[in-house]
Amino acid sequence: MSGQGAAAGSRSRPTDAVFALLRLGATVLGRTGGAVLTLVALASLVFLALRLLPGDPAALVLGEQASEADRALIRGKLGLDRPLGAQYLSFLLGLARLDLGDSLARPGTSAFAEVGRALGPTSALAGLAVGLGALLGIAAAVACVGPWLGSRREWLHRAVLVVAATPLLSFAPLATYLLAVRLRVVPLPGDPESGASGLLFASGLLSLPLAAQVARIGRAALLDLGHAKFLDVAAAKGGSPWRVWVVHALPAASAPISVVIAAQLGALLGGAVVLERLFERPGLGTLMLSAYAARDIPVLEASVVAAGLLFVAVQALAIFIHALIDPRGREP
Amino acid sequence: MSTDARARRRRNRALSAVAPAALLALVTALLAALSDRSPARLALDLAWAPPSASRPFGSGDAGVDLLALVSHATVRALALAALVSLFGFLVGTPLGAAAGIFRGRFERWTLRACDLVQSFPTFLLALAVLSAVRSPSRLHIGLVFCVTAWAPFARVAAAQARVLSESQFVEAARALGLGSVAIVFVHVIPNLLGPVSVQIGTSAAGVVLGETALGFVGLGPPDGVSLGSLIEQGTLAMLRAPHVLTVGAVAVILVSGSLQLASEGVRRWVHLE
Repeated sequence: MSGQGAAAGSRSRPTDAVFALLRLGATVLGRTGGAVLTLVALASLVFLALRLLPGDPAALVLGEQASEADRALIRGKLGLDRPLGAQYLSFLLGLARLDLGDSLARPGTSAFAEVGRALGPTSALAGLAVGLGALLGIAAAVACVGPWLGSRREWLHRAVLVVAATPLLSFAPLATYLLAVRLRVVPLPGDPESGASGLLFASGLLSLPLAAQVARIGRAALLDLGHAKFLDVAAAKGGSPWRVWVVHALPAASAPISVVIAAQLGALLGGAVVLERLFERPGLGTLMLSAYAARDIPVLEASVVAAGLLFVAVQALAIFIHALIDPRGREP
Repeated sequence: MSTDARARRRRNRALSAVAPAALLALVTALLAALSDRSPARLALDLAWAPPSASRPFGSGDAGVDLLALVSHATVRALALAALVSLFGFLVGTPLGAAAGIFRGRFERWTLRACDLVQSFPTFLLALAVLSAVRSPSRLHIGLVFCVTAWAPFARVAAAQARVLSESQFVEAARALGLGSVAIVFVHVIPNLLGPVSVQIGTSAAGVVLGETALGFVGLGPPDGVSLGSLIEQGTLAMLRAPHVLTVGAVAVILVSGSLQLASEGVRRWVHLE
């Protein structure tokens, strides 16, 4: 009997894995449906803000003194002389084909090519920051509940609260001043040869607020689990505190942790723009701000949409990782 | 404990809840109003000068008095934050309360809208909207924050109203023939003001930080009287005049910190009652 059961088990294992993968995919698709909605809403808002708010976009691009003929030329180039519905349709089609026309500031370069060039540095910065923040935060949360630090756990918790309450915009420039100007351990802002250490320092700063939030929520979630039966069982079987907290408790606490990471992504992206400005790094934020200053409408639209896309992609990744760790997060 | 002592204790708690923010607002407003310092008056020969007796915070770009700049910028940031969170409170609370009472499709759509708005990167939203304006004023910035300010209030109010809708006094009001709208405004909203008011401080701190970030990247008000512009000045002159950066960063920490403390105080006060 038992042999038969084992054989059936081994036969169904590959299909089980396929089904599990499909379920995982369905989960990610279902959860990102809302995120895609966010993306379309953001894109539509950029589109509508320029066309529905009072004021002539052509005058925004060229300045008030430009001649009527020049303005008409720009209007034709941006398609502003067509009815709003037709403009919106071609805007959405352009988004789908990743073609929103050429940059106004640099004729001959497509807006999405500019964005593609900027996407790399920003993805590196934001991605590294999410990874570092999650790691640091989870480590701090586990250290806050485990027995290793003894009474110093309270101090760690307080430090986490202080970091969580300190805005990035005030501690990032101060830390840069202290570490780059005073102690000279990290490269100065704007140093073109800063390379990997510059990236690491910037993403380390960017990861701190995320790490503090993850630590705060993760600690609360782990403390909630503290009296769960399965942890007592794991300890009674002779599991070390490390095994009890990291192997048994942490996956069960992954739901609130991935929720807080997903919720912090918008702030992280805003922080990335601020840090790119602070360190004079090339990237999506820098591109967006220069397109804003030059009123380069196609590049501005493309870069805002690309930033939204980055946001959605990382959010989907957070959901995927959660579903991977915690089977309760998968769609039934 | 006598009712008298309890009332006094409650008053003390209320005081400790709003004290940090009120103190900050009072001090900066007094500084800004009483002194004849103005961030518009420039003394070019004092540009980037370190702190001195006449200018305790030193001078910034083009010889602007940093004490005047910080106090005026803080008062304006606090005023903006107060107005935006008041708007969010006034719009979000009734909406959320109605969603929690009416349930059904209305609640689903309200919560869906909250999700959408709260998952928006506010900074991108601000950039998208402000790009259509020639030179964004404080009014424009405030309007952008208002687009998202109502959502956290609506969410908290909806969660509370869901609980309240099962309570006996709401059932009694229904049995007496009161309409749903009347129930929302007469019975539900007054009972969820406590938890919702915790959100005001958090919202205000968020607005202050958002305005600072916009000012830092050059999307601030054109007069340059904003904490973000001050930090931007400070980072540009980091090597030459580090006191500018220090003043700006400490001011931002103090303002957002005291708003968060106020919110935490309100939370304790509400939970103890």
